[in-house]
Amino acid sequence: LARTQSRRSANLMQLVYGLPSTKLGGGALEENDDGEANSSDDEFFIPKGQKQAKNESPSFEDIDAEDCSKFFKAELRDWSNEDLIKSIRDRFVTGNWSKAALRGQDAD
Amino acid sequence: MGRDKSRRLSGSRDFRQRLVLATLTSTAVTIVDIRSGDAAPGLRPHEVSLLRLLDKISDHHTIELNDTGTKLKYRPGVIIGGKGLEHDCGVHRGIGYFLEPLILLGLFARAPISIRLKGITNDTKDPSVDTFRTTTLHMLKHFGVPLEGFDLKIDSRGSPPLGGGEVSLWVRNINSTLTAANWVDEGMVKRIRGVSFATRVSPQLQSRIIYAARGIFNRFIPDVHIDKDHRSGSAGGRSPGYGVTLVAETTTGCLLSVDVTVSCPSVDEINEESEKPELTSPEDLGVQAASMLLEEVAQGGVVDSTHQGLLFILCALCPPDVSKVRVGQLTPYGIETLRNIRDFLDVKFIIKPDPNSNTVTLKCVGAGVKNLARKIS
Repeated sequence: LARTQSRRSANLMQLVYGLPSTKLGGGALEENDDGEANSSDDEFFIPKGQKQAKNESPSFEDIDAEDCSKFFKAELRDWSNEDLIKSIRDRFVTGNWSKAALRGQDAD
Repeated sequence: MGRDKSRRLSGSRDFRQRLVLATLTSTAVTIVDIRSGDAAPGLRPHEVSLLRLLDKISDHHTIELNDTGTKLKYRPGVIIGGKGLEHDCGVHRGIGYFLEPLILLGLFARAPISIRLKGITNDTKDPSVDTFRTTTLHMLKHFGVPLEGFDLKIDSRGSPPLGGGEVSLWVRNINSTLTAANWVDEGMVKRIRGVSFATRVSPQLQSRIIYAARGIFNRFIPDVHIDKDHRSGSAGGRSPGYGVTLVAETTTGCLLSVDVTVSCPSVDEINEESEKPELTSPEDLGVQAASMLLEEVAQGGVVDSTHQGLLFILCALCPPDVSKVRVGQLTPYGIETLRNIRDFLDVKFIIKPDPNSNTVTLKCVGAGVKNLARKIS
């Protein structure tokens, strides 16, 4: 278990800071763009901005990504659902305190 | 430092953070390719406005922009601060866009800042002024900054698209450095507070928002109180709109906030666009806000996802001591912030997932940024 945990933390570190050799993503993306432009001459002069608007999801490679600190969840879950209510029950003072304390201890 | 020692960056992404971090570390930056492939190249009006704001509060700096606005050279000077400043934020982004960098710069200024900001107080893209007042300012407490001298007063509200809101902000400078924070206990939610607002629409809508939101919260906690802030006349800005800001307070003093806003487009816009956009009803808005808040509670961090970026920057600015914080899932903005911090401050966080609570703990040794602008008497 300890090993998987350390690997997971390494993965998060990698996700944020990247490995020195993981510049592949950006290169591949550009190639893709070139291919698209070559295949259809009519659409050769589409500005980049419109292309980006097409694939809606904001990507890390987009150097002109919007500067926005708010985080939007794609869809909201239905919080009147009984199971969901149970899942965060103990995060409130009206929940089970002993269970909540346990959660904190496990974390350490 | 030589003139050609400036750091080269490209693109308009993280514009605020780059400018703030460049200023705090006195690093000259050159940003190239700002939307150079776009149909409308160059800086957007809100970014230019931010540069003007930076120009207002600092001295001995240079800002050079080329004709198309795609290349920016910035050499930071000293942040002066000052009283009785005024700035028109424009109507492209909310005032929240300007507040985030302003609070960081204000901490490291020569004199306390008091500034009047005009523009949009609540919009969908940026944290609302209520969020800032109730949550963001209180984050500073955890970094050893007393809250005396910090305040945000909402003189009038303005919704998009025309704005017309005015807020007064007071930010105090710190003596030398922040204090490293060990902020990992998120606690349990003990109460929920909030403010709903309505500008140029019936105050009835607020009651409907609150009623819907309370319906969701009643399953969890009885201590829910949502204020009403109805503005009419000139205090209500120039556009109709309504929304709500919710804050969950925990037993350990953590604050988790969300805000939502609906603004009606102006009459001209409806005529121009072929289809009339569907507005979210107050009931749906209340449910949406409540669900978003519960989502934040479920994340289990000490701050909500909106404030991750600011939290990381504050940690990285601390003196060379270990800071430890816990957040929920890392947001894209948070990850970008961590990368910018590494680039400018050379601080790397140790990021550890916590499988028991599905949270992430981050540890770092601060860069020890000092307030050098402050006069030593």
